[in-house]
Amino acid sequence: MAGRLILIFLGAVLVNNFVLRYFLGICPFLGVTGKVESGVAMGFATTFVMTITAAVVWPVNMYIIQGLNLPFLEYVSDILIIASLVQLIEMFIKKTNPALYRSLGIYLPLITTNCSILFLALFIPLREYTFIDSIIFGFGAGMGFTFVLLLMSAIREELDFAEVPRSLRGAPVTLITAGLLALAFMGFTGLI
Amino acid sequence: MGLIIIATGSIAALAAFFAIMLSIAHSKLKVEEDPRVERLLEALPGVNCAACGFASCRALAEAAVKGEVEVGSCVVGGNDVAEKISRIMGVKAKVVEKKLAFVRCGAGKSEREKKAIYQGVETCRAANLVMGGEVACSHGCLGFGDCQRACPFNAIKMLDGLAHIDFSLCTGCGRCVQVCPRNIIVLEKFNDLNYRVKCSSLDKGKKAREVCKKSCIACGRCVKSCPYDACWMDNNLARIDSRNCQVCGICALVCPTGAIVELENSGKK
Repeated sequence: MAGRLILIFLGAVLVNNFVLRYFLGICPFLGVTGKVESGVAMGFATTFVMTITAAVVWPVNMYIIQGLNLPFLEYVSDILIIASLVQLIEMFIKKTNPALYRSLGIYLPLITTNCSILFLALFIPLREYTFIDSIIFGFGAGMGFTFVLLLMSAIREELDFAEVPRSLRGAPVTLITAGLLALAFMGFTGLI
Repeated sequence: MGLIIIATGSIAALAAFFAIMLSIAHSKLKVEEDPRVERLLEALPGVNCAACGFASCRALAEAAVKGEVEVGSCVVGGNDVAEKISRIMGVKAKVVEKKLAFVRCGAGKSEREKKAIYQGVETCRAANLVMGGEVACSHGCLGFGDCQRACPFNAIKMLDGLAHIDFSLCTGCGRCVQVCPRNIIVLEKFNDLNYRVKCSSLDKGKKAREVCKKSCIACGRCVKSCPYDACWMDNNLARIDSRNCQVCGICALVCPTGAIVELENSGKK
């Protein structure tokens, strides 16, 4: 049991990393990784939403979508769940950390449209995970997202001081960095 | 039929659950806001034109409550708004100098020469990138109306391919100044001067004359005839100094191309 959970967790964080393997959630990946602080905060906010989404999607899918045989409602219910949870965390961050709220700016409500979360919600029923499995999977996917955002923002902070050829400054060198990171993550493929 | 009821019912139940959860969270996590922010927002124009340097009227209101900005920061609102803000904040308002946008080009489509046929994207910005599109003058209005689209107050009309500003609607927010790729729109004080040089060409007389019938050709007649030393030449372009100008109108009379104009109803502003 524990071994299986660790495998799911590691698989979501490293091997099947949402950003660098499936290329999901690229918008915040490039948008808020200017500073480590905001990158990590965005990562944790997304992790929170992902974990709770996994915890809510599983029973909804099990008892409403499959239980009542309403497969066409899957997308609608997923979007409802994600949008509500993002609202919740937005209120929470606005209350607890106004500075962070301002630095995340538009990317915070945009978690709603972050494709990695919808992907997670659609992925869980496909994999036939149990309740605990899906929570661990959601948490792992979020931690993987945070991990990549941390790496990317730390690299980008250093890049600000690096001598980059003039034609590559800004977006091009960021995209090259993202590509190299994705290449490096391919090395985890044989891990499990 | 039964399926529809089940589907609707289950989604409604789910939605109701989240609605209740969010409303509880909302009351628990409510952020205390300075009540003056709301009152300031009512006093501000609310067009989010960003002329003050903040992204929105709300951002300005929040900064004003903290005392980070002066009460007259809203250039669009002018004295009225500054007064309201000062009443809410309990400080004395400074008099805001009213500025209005002025187009430094007087040539309509029929008066400016063409040098090419332009079939590209119909914005001034795009035309300016390809050597100014079809307009031969390298300083004048391109006539695609970027300023008209940028104006939040509908104060700019394009007449015969030239931007015209309705001074009764203009608030001096400066959006048009920012978007004009040729920098021919300027913000100027309008209380003390009725005569303006409606041209921004820095070309020498012959060249300026070749490309446009209404350009300043730097002949210097206005400089010689002005009794108050208010006109002077700068880089082949006549300028009028508002400190010396006594609004006699001689410069406009002697200008051979009509580049100096008297502005309608500018004195009332």
